[in-house]
Amino acid sequence: MSIEASATMEIETVSSEPKPESNPLPPKPKFEPLKAHEMSDGRVQFRKVSVPPHRYSPLKKYWMDIYTPIYEHMKIDIRMNLKARKVELKTRQDTPDISNLQKCADFVQAFMLGFDVPDAIALLRLDELYVESFEIKDVKTLRGEHLSRAIGRLSGKGGKTKFAIENATKTRIVIADTKIHMLGSFANIKIARDSLCSLILGSPAGKVYSKLRQVSARLAERF
Amino acid sequence: MVTPVEAAVESLRQISTEPPVWLVPKQELSQAVRAASKLLFASLKPHCTKSPFDELLIEGFDAEQIWQQIDLQSQPLLSSLRREVKKFEKHPEEISKLKVDVEGGKKKVLEEIETENVVVNDDDDEDDDIDMDEEDEDEEEEGEEKEKGREEESENEGEEKGGIEDKFLKIKELQEYLEEDEAREFGTNKKKRKAETKKHEEDTEDEEEEGDDEENEDDTDEAEEEEEDELGLFGGDDESDEDDLGNARYEDFFSRKKSKDSEDKAKYRDMLEEDSGSDDEHVDKKRKDGLSKHEKELDELRSKIEQMEKANLDPKVWTMRGEVTAAQRQKNSALEVDLDFEHNVRPAPVITEEVTASLEDLIKTRISEGLFDDVQKAPTLSSKAPREVKELDDNKSKKGLAEIYEEEFVQKTDPASAPLTFSDELKKEASMLFKKLCLKLDALSHFHFTPKPVVEDMSIQTNVPALAMEEIAPMAVSDAAMLAPEEVFSGKGDIKEEAEMTKADRKKRRANKKRKFKAKAAKRPRANTSVRNSDEGSKV
Repeated sequence: MSIEASATMEIETVSSEPKPESNPLPPKPKFEPLKAHEMSDGRVQFRKVSVPPHRYSPLKKYWMDIYTPIYEHMKIDIRMNLKARKVELKTRQDTPDISNLQKCADFVQAFMLGFDVPDAIALLRLDELYVESFEIKDVKTLRGEHLSRAIGRLSGKGGKTKFAIENATKTRIVIADTKIHMLGSFANIKIARDSLCSLILGSPAGKVYSKLRQVSARLAERF
Repeated sequence: MVTPVEAAVESLRQISTEPPVWLVPKQELSQAVRAASKLLFASLKPHCTKSPFDELLIEGFDAEQIWQQIDLQSQPLLSSLRREVKKFEKHPEEISKLKVDVEGGKKKVLEEIETENVVVNDDDDEDDDIDMDEEDEDEEEEGEEKEKGREEESENEGEEKGGIEDKFLKIKELQEYLEEDEAREFGTNKKKRKAETKKHEEDTEDEEEEGDDEENEDDTDEAEEEEEDELGLFGGDDESDEDDLGNARYEDFFSRKKSKDSEDKAKYRDMLEEDSGSDDEHVDKKRKDGLSKHEKELDELRSKIEQMEKANLDPKVWTMRGEVTAAQRQKNSALEVDLDFEHNVRPAPVITEEVTASLEDLIKTRISEGLFDDVQKAPTLSSKAPREVKELDDNKSKKGLAEIYEEEFVQKTDPASAPLTFSDELKKEASMLFKKLCLKLDALSHFHFTPKPVVEDMSIQTNVPALAMEEIAPMAVSDAAMLAPEEVFSGKGDIKEEAEMTKADRKKRRANKKRKFKAKAAKRPRANTSVRNSDEGSKV
């Protein structure tokens, strides 16, 4: 066996040496990450975000606030298709990361849902932020006055309940008729969702406040 | 010869028989009556053997006392008389044995009594109604009650002999029963007596309690007896009476064997039943009489021993029993016994003037001093430092979400350069002031002076390790160098070590140095320019 091993080794060495001129193994290819525009075989990536009618005028108002961070920082092309009432986003040559496009799309989507620009900007800056939506009827079937009352309970007088939840859990909440959207990190969204659900189910605001206080204290202690 | 009785009676008669005289108390009346009573008493004295008085004591004695003396004399006398009457009733032939003059005298007396009866009877009745305590009446009663006895005797004598006997009550049977009773009870010496006299004597004691009929019969006997002093028979009877009654000792009444029967007799007496054990007692009586002194003493001792044994066997008195509850003894029996027990309770303080005065003084001093024993709340120790409570803010947050997360992120990564997380400016200011104050106080109180704390504003940060700048309330600062390396670094561009430098880099460095030096030299004030110029010229 040893003879064979040596023979094989010899053979290898022999084989390697006498074949420099024959087809050398190509070096391991080093693939650098694909740029956005190179993806999908060089075709351009783009997203389209539809604009609901009630967000049309706010879009017009805050257009520059939206446009600047997307175009400057994220290096994504953005334009508004008036005819189709959509915002279109497109990668550029120098878009560093393909995720930028997605982030920008999320950012615009968040704005369309109803979030303010400074709040939605967080989506661009932080990775771990998410937007979660649910409807009131998912929690409890309410009709007529009950529904109205539930909505009123959620927001509170002058919106103070909603703000209390937002401040305590570091989230942003948008109550759009029967739809509720939350923006924040995963854990915070969970807490906010629990509070909102308890409010929908009928617990009084004071109870929710006390719970929030405990939660916020716990959250603050984590650091 | 006038007998004392006759004399007394005469004197009484002399006093007065008019009732109105007696209404007003008069000294001479009372004296006369008393004298008469005394005479009567003296007359009766020979017949009466048991009376303790030799004569009726009048001087200085109350009416009640005089009456008591009379009573003492007359009661046994009455009973003996009754006996005699009974005897005479049974054996009327004996009456004939009495002396004639006695009989005559007796008859006389009877007549006298009968006459007096009518006169004094009315007064007697009146007296009965009037209250005995009045002094006015006492004198009257004195004289009259003596007569009363005789009147009753004479009265009853006449009337009731025939009236009581009926088909149920035969007097003779009654007599027999009583005789037997007497024999049993008293155990009188029968040898001395004749059978008939004995029976009479035995009857007398009981007869007092029986109806009037016995009394009546005996009274007649007694009345006869009174008049006849010299009769040996009566005298003998008297003596025998004396013996029987005088010799009746404690043992006769309360000896062992007889005691039972005496108790029974007490029960049966009222019912008039016949006893059966009379024979035994006759025997016992005879034995008693035959015992010697020593034997009597032994008997006494024996009876005592028996008594004591009996007492031992009986259940003890409650005082000897140890622990006794109220249910185990009679009601109120504890009151009769002198109990001694410990009082575990302090006796209530007696409130005197001194006590109240002392209390008031105490109160006054306390008030003046202001030393009230007020209850002070114990200070609660806080177990842990109060942590900053983040209040729920229900206003719209001024910072955007992005900024919030930014702050969070910054705090996580670089706590030193993170902005303070106070909510208000006022709070910040307040905390700043407090920190300054605390620093001053610490400087004053600690031996090891601590430097000023690092304040998070535009202050110069020196590159001193954090340990040296320790403060009492340490913030979240590490013991690494305060400044980051890039902050420390004052150069710019790429830094290369000696070993790394290439020839070209070294040359470059030298050229830079020369340039700087030349610039410096040019700035210096040019003294001795001539020398310099020459030097510079030579060098070039």
